[in-house]
Amino acid sequence: MERKKDDVLALGNEIVSEGLSRGIDDIEVYYQDVDSQEVVIEKNDLQLPKADKYKGIGVRVCKDMRIGFAATNDMETNSSKNLLDEALILAQNSPPDRNNVFPAKANLSEVKDIYDSEGAEIELNNLIEISKDFMTEIKKDDRVMVESASFSANIINNAIFTSKGISSQYQKTFFSAQALSFAREKELVSSFDIEYLASCFLQDLSIKKSAARLRDKVVASLGAEPVESFKGEILLTPFAAVSLIMRPIVFAINSENVQNGISPWKNKLTERVSSNKLTIHDDGTEAGGIGSKKFDREGVFPEKFTVIEKGILQELLYNSYTAHRAGRKSNGRAAGGAQSTPGISPGNLIVAPGKKSSKDLIKDIKKGLLVNRYSGSVDPVSGDFSGVVKGGELIVQGKRKQPVREVMISGNIYDILDQIIGISQNREDIMNYKLPYMLFSDISITGKDSLN
Amino acid sequence: MELKEILKKVVANRDEWLELRYHKRTSLDIEVKNGRLREATRNILSGVAIRALVDGCWGFVSTSETSYAGLSKAVSQACKSAKEAAPLKKEKVKGLASLPAKKEKVDFARSNNQQKETSLEEKIREIRQADNLLQKAGEDIIASQVSYSEYQDEKIIVTSDGIEVEITDPKCDVGVVAYGVKDSQQERAHVSKSITGNWTELFSEKSLADLVDEAVSLLRQRLTAEHVSGGEYQVILDPALVGVLAHEAIGHTVEADFVEAGSVVQGKIGEQVASELVTLVDDGNAAGAGRTLVDDEGCQADKTIIIDKGILQNYLHNRESAFKYDTEPGGNARAFTYRDEPIIRMTNTYIRPGKSELAEMIEGVSEGFLLKGMAQGGQADSTAEFMFDVLEAYKIEEGQISHPVKGITLTGQAFEVLKSVDAVSKDFALDLGRGYCGKGQPAKVDAGGPYIRCKLMIGGQQ
Repeated sequence: MERKKDDVLALGNEIVSEGLSRGIDDIEVYYQDVDSQEVVIEKNDLQLPKADKYKGIGVRVCKDMRIGFAATNDMETNSSKNLLDEALILAQNSPPDRNNVFPAKANLSEVKDIYDSEGAEIELNNLIEISKDFMTEIKKDDRVMVESASFSANIINNAIFTSKGISSQYQKTFFSAQALSFAREKELVSSFDIEYLASCFLQDLSIKKSAARLRDKVVASLGAEPVESFKGEILLTPFAAVSLIMRPIVFAINSENVQNGISPWKNKLTERVSSNKLTIHDDGTEAGGIGSKKFDREGVFPEKFTVIEKGILQELLYNSYTAHRAGRKSNGRAAGGAQSTPGISPGNLIVAPGKKSSKDLIKDIKKGLLVNRYSGSVDPVSGDFSGVVKGGELIVQGKRKQPVREVMISGNIYDILDQIIGISQNREDIMNYKLPYMLFSDISITGKDSLN
Repeated sequence: MELKEILKKVVANRDEWLELRYHKRTSLDIEVKNGRLREATRNILSGVAIRALVDGCWGFVSTSETSYAGLSKAVSQACKSAKEAAPLKKEKVKGLASLPAKKEKVDFARSNNQQKETSLEEKIREIRQADNLLQKAGEDIIASQVSYSEYQDEKIIVTSDGIEVEITDPKCDVGVVAYGVKDSQQERAHVSKSITGNWTELFSEKSLADLVDEAVSLLRQRLTAEHVSGGEYQVILDPALVGVLAHEAIGHTVEADFVEAGSVVQGKIGEQVASELVTLVDDGNAAGAGRTLVDDEGCQADKTIIIDKGILQNYLHNRESAFKYDTEPGGNARAFTYRDEPIIRMTNTYIRPGKSELAEMIEGVSEGFLLKGMAQGGQADSTAEFMFDVLEAYKIEEGQISHPVKGITLTGQAFEVLKSVDAVSKDFALDLGRGYCGKGQPAKVDAGGPYIRCKLMIGGQQ
């Protein structure tokens, strides 16, 4: 059962007071409850309606610069006293660290459009209807098979209370739809493709449009042919860019990785890290953003800043530990929930748009590939990547020639960021990313001919 | 009233078919990075998972409420959602394979496990010492990470058809990651180990210091290794990579839900799908990290022979699919937490050892590679096409191991690869490390086998 706002406040204050009375230097209480509903489709058929109610609490204590953390979702039999006991035992067994400092209270402001009060009233029946709409649209072509799909609605309450005076709560709604599909026509089988939609507002999920797009993509990749190896351009769709480009960038701009010396950009602040076509902002409070929040995992306001400006690295992601170690303030990128200690992650990573449409970028390609999805490895430490192009299309002299299969691309991510020659004007929202299509030159493309 | 009695009462009071699973996980995580104790956390996650079967459709509700009133309400919700969804479900659940009604208590820990429990203080101290050892291993080490996780699951499963099972399942794992640099090129190497059991058993064969040595040695080899040219080669896969192939590329295709969805082995029972040197097994009784003596439907684990001397023999089942295929379930219905429904999963999946000596297998390769362990991860789909990247690799030239190489990605169709197997070694290890299998929800699994020699495509970076 969802706790009322006042109950949560009372619980948080009770634990903080109890901790202070025991001589603990700093106490942080993070509370979260989540009410989820989901409809799961498998092999073109409804598989399971699901519902989950979760509420949990995590207590972090700091005594003599030693940290301990304990969490539970069993609020009936685990009293706040037990949690404090557990956290204190862990702290007593931990070494002191002068950077174990909890953030001071600062002004927080509400974030717009992250709670859909109408959508929060959704019932399972509505989700079943949504899944029906999706299936009807995608099955308009009977060659299309839905391997799996899910449609979910989540209502989330977050609250934080600290001995430094932070006391705040916010609500968020999160709706998502995802589907994995392929097409089959006699002996021809396409590669798998994915659609992923997420929004804080139910009405913003364009279910039918997404189903039609997935249908068209998998049908278009029927009859894929191998190609010979060549060095050429690749145009990454926003979806392919998430795994291939954005995840290594998120690793590289994580201040903990920088301080630990494992980020390839450890000494690169204010230096060039990519082509000047790339500009990235991180906005933790963007209206309606999937990654938006009133406060981060430590109660800090997640401010907006520029990460990369025309290829120059401007800022990293900090929580209060790494910020203190760097002798600065946190920029509110502490991540996690009630059952984990604060990590680091971006708010909403937004790549600035270019001037041409993705269709016009295709026209610029002499010989290259449209990469719809990337299935392979990316080592964020070395930057080496090597993997298979899924749903790829060969493009010659600006024209889409044929779907391709058994094609691999490889190289080093941090090197090829300097080979960005085009960024599209049109962008897509994928989780907490807003991404354009990205065009790269001189990429090693390994085709079937390399077989001995 | 005891929780088990509450579960029984809730089930007894409804006409619908019900499965209630209380599942409490108590976990400890310790992580030290570059000398900093990054994580020292204790966590309790507990609640009840409810599955209702109504009008041929499942409904699933998970809740942390454990009172009679709270559970009765959640059961009503599960039944209602199943009833509402049933009209949309085209292929109804026609029945469940029957299981003998039973009342039992099962502990997944190995029975001779009598060692004393290691204290929290000792665990933190040893993890910090290992990290310190790693940091001081040489000037080429730029960063270190040692992490340890353990959890103890306690479950009570009660169903409408008379199953009352209480389960205790302790699992733990450790990972060591070394980061280094040479000529401004950064690399990382990791080693890990995972078991069903406790801290003492985890380090019974190799100490933390041994794992640190392995990680450093592997890192140095990667720092000096050369990139290779892509192409099809004869290769020898070590037990860890054989495990990845057995689990990721083959195992998923034989899970009955994937078979139903049209996986590549649909309708191929009795057909030759691999070299006759290959026998592939899933066994929840084996002493690996995937040990599952009783699954989350209350079904006893069995040894399922998936491929017998190259012939496809069996799929992996839960109660629903076993009923449909008129066979016995083998204990493969698993749920990660109380918030997850049981789905068909592997446990310990392996290829049985053969008769060859590894040295002779290497001698038989004129140009190829000896490949060990998975680096970042792997992917495979229901066509059995896969992609794995390799942690440790050596070029083989004229029957001799010549030099270390890196940046290798393996791709291919797993059954084609298994058909190309021409030698299987006498060795055997379950060696999937601390990895979890992902299928909508994680599962602790293990996999392995002997060394095998086969042909497959390598993606390189030259």
